[in-house]
Amino acid sequence: MAEEVKQVRKPPDPNSAKYKLGQIAAKAYTDVIEAKARGEKIGWVSSNFPVEIPETLGIPVCYPENQAAAIAARGGGERLCQEAEGDGYSNDICAYARISLAYAKLGSAPEQDMPLPDFVLCCSNICDCMIKWYENLSRELNIPLIMLDIPFNPDYEVSDAEVAYVKGQFLAAIRQMEELTGKKWTEEKFQEVMKNSCRTSRAWLEATSCAKYTPSPFNGFDLLNHMAVMVTARGKAEAADAMETLLKEYQENHETGKSTFRGEEKYRIMFEGIACWPWLRVTSTGLKSRGINMVTTIYADAFGFIYDDFDGMIRAYCKVPNAINLELARDKRVKLCKANSVEGLLVHVNRSCKLWSGFMNEMSRQIGAECDIPVVSFDGDQADPRNFSEAQYDTRVQGLMEIMEARKGGEGA
Amino acid sequence: MNTQELFETFRDAAAHPKKQLDAYLAAGEKVVLTAPVYVPEEIIHAMGLVPMGAWGADLPLARSKEYFPAFICSIMQSILELGIRGEYDGASAIVIPSLCDSLKCLGENWKYAVPTIPFIPMTYPQNRWGEVGTAFTKAGYERVIADLEKATGAKFDEEKLTASIRVYNRHNDAMRRLAAALPRHPEVTARQRSDLFKSAFFMKKETHTALVEELLGQWGEGSQAGEKVPVMTTGILCDSPALLDIFDELGLRIVADDVAAESRQYRTDTPDGLAPLDALSEKFARMGLCSVLYHPKKERLEYIAKTAKEKGAKGVIVVLTKFCDPEEFDYPLLKKACSATGLPVALVEVDRQMEDFEQARTLLEAFKVMLV
Ligand code: SF4
Ligand code: SF4
Repeated sequence: MAEEVKQVRKPPDPNSAKYKLGQIAAKAYTDVIEAKARGEKIGWVSSNFPVEIPETLGIPVCYPENQAAAIAARGGGERLCQEAEGDGYSNDICAYARISLAYAKLGSAPEQDMPLPDFVLCCSNICDCMIKWYENLSRELNIPLIMLDIPFNPDYEVSDAEVAYVKGQFLAAIRQMEELTGKKWTEEKFQEVMKNSCRTSRAWLEATSCAKYTPSPFNGFDLLNHMAVMVTARGKAEAADAMETLLKEYQENHETGKSTFRGEEKYRIMFEGIACWPWLRVTSTGLKSRGINMVTTIYADAFGFIYDDFDGMIRAYCKVPNAINLELARDKRVKLCKANSVEGLLVHVNRSCKLWSGFMNEMSRQIGAECDIPVVSFDGDQADPRNFSEAQYDTRVQGLMEIMEARKGGEGA
Repeated sequence: MNTQELFETFRDAAAHPKKQLDAYLAAGEKVVLTAPVYVPEEIIHAMGLVPMGAWGADLPLARSKEYFPAFICSIMQSILELGIRGEYDGASAIVIPSLCDSLKCLGENWKYAVPTIPFIPMTYPQNRWGEVGTAFTKAGYERVIADLEKATGAKFDEEKLTASIRVYNRHNDAMRRLAAALPRHPEVTARQRSDLFKSAFFMKKETHTALVEELLGQWGEGSQAGEKVPVMTTGILCDSPALLDIFDELGLRIVADDVAAESRQYRTDTPDGLAPLDALSEKFARMGLCSVLYHPKKERLEYIAKTAKEKGAKGVIVVLTKFCDPEEFDYPLLKKACSATGLPVALVEVDRQMEDFEQARTLLEAFKVMLV
């Protein structure tokens, strides 16, 4: 185009939530790199491992899932997946795991570096795949593995037996980590971390619930970016502060009629599943160009780690999205759909994630029926770009839009 | 029965589970289905119910796709398919353990896909050792008992469990002796070998034990001699007749296995000296050497390499069920562990919808050439 307008980038406002959250996300890596350079022992942690443990002990940790997402979003997913496949890993295995195992071997990736671990902390509450992945990390790198097993709960409520089982392991894990690092658990520090974690979670829940307004004061894709902070830093005071800023901004947006969703919000959907990181722009544009705002995802609920004591914390970790049965998982989504006036459900059938996709058909049917909304799915992958088809995505989203339009009394009504 | 008749009996049971099911039902027995990989069958047995393995079948999928996406293993898919088609009709319940992500999904789907057969979850701990782990296993068993009582009206009794544990330990012992004797019987085909193990899932354990013991009694010493090339198999399932025929046609002889549906079932006995339910929980704690059981050091890899060497196998054949996470994660490291001891490894991917085995044949043919 002849008359291309040069965009002048405004310097970011250091008081904005975006800036603060960006800083925290970046610091998650730099802190660990510095700690490693100082000779401290650092760990790799699975995303739903209770952050309270490393945070209270003051142990520097980083998150392979976040790293894999970052690598995939920056175009390195296929390269690292292929590296793992070259070592014999099937391309059916979760792409986060493939990327991470390849990275563990290579030790660096230009898209997102992270120091190699001295130990790994695994929590099975989101999948058993995680156990296999961390066993392999531990064996290949010859480092200790601390495994907190939080089983998939086939019941609606968390049983006392489960709490006792998880609690026993929690205490053992703390002891093991104290021995490994020489650091000490103190009740005082735990109280502080718990307070921060609850503050951050509360602000997150409230901020995401601002989607109840029509139009929503934010584009749901924002949540995908902010999630990294919820995963890694929710026990830190800075994170609580940043999330409270985010909440304030969303409330202000609502009051002043603004939104981070550019353009008119014609339709409101729930997006189900992990983002397709390698195709983030395509998936987001496919919605935005049609005036579709993804107002909510299960992540809105997933990081509501609000509890009053140790047992409460354990129960919260027993209820993370992939650890709960179909009925509870369904009801949480139905609640989000209803609270946020969702008009359609777009389901990412994620080839990487067997547990997330394995009963999604039935669950989304039930959500659709209960909320009286159309459900459309597309095939994709969170980190392996080869498992996504732009054409299929486009056709499916178009189809969803047309049903939503017809139901609004548009054409044909 | 003579040896041939015994093999025919094993074949008949292995090939026709539906016939077995219908016979039990006709005799007024209550049948409880047990999904892979480990279910506390002793409990079901003790309650006077007949446990029957449900590991799916080789059949095309239609209805299961309404529930599962394509990238879930064919064992899960075909169990659900059989359930929806009514092949398990008459069973009183299905017990599905929590040992992999796909199994968890099977349970959730089952509730809606096959509402006539109640789903009973068996939630196992992966940190299964020590007081904390065994207490949770026990709580899982107690839940299975309560659900079985509800589904079948049968009552649980501790003493009966003690007796059932004895029945199962004896069966384990018979199966281990069988596995140990098989290398000295090159006349047993790969399919016959598979029948010996597979039939155990569909027969009452007392009956199966008696037949296996009868066979062992007839066998005598045997001899290692023969032209066939000794190999070891590993995987979840290795029961496809077409694949097994290729083993025989190519002259590959299975002298040891680490297959979940075969020897992995029988490695661990329930210990004596504890209350029966505690003993059963302790048995689970002692289990290991399996891809679906957490093993921080992955000792199973060295175990496979060591067993293969001990049994004189010249190579290891990984029969990988497509989309099986637990096995797929172990494969690269297994290959390394075997290579470290100079043991060649072949990978054959299978699923229950496979019709064309030519690729598998070519691969195994080349592997055999390498071994001799
Ligand atoms: S994407 Fe799914 S399989 Fe992969 S680590 Fe996350 S929960 Fe596990
Ligand atoms: S074959 Fe593998 S993925 Fe399938 S149920 Fe068994 S362990 Fe799970």
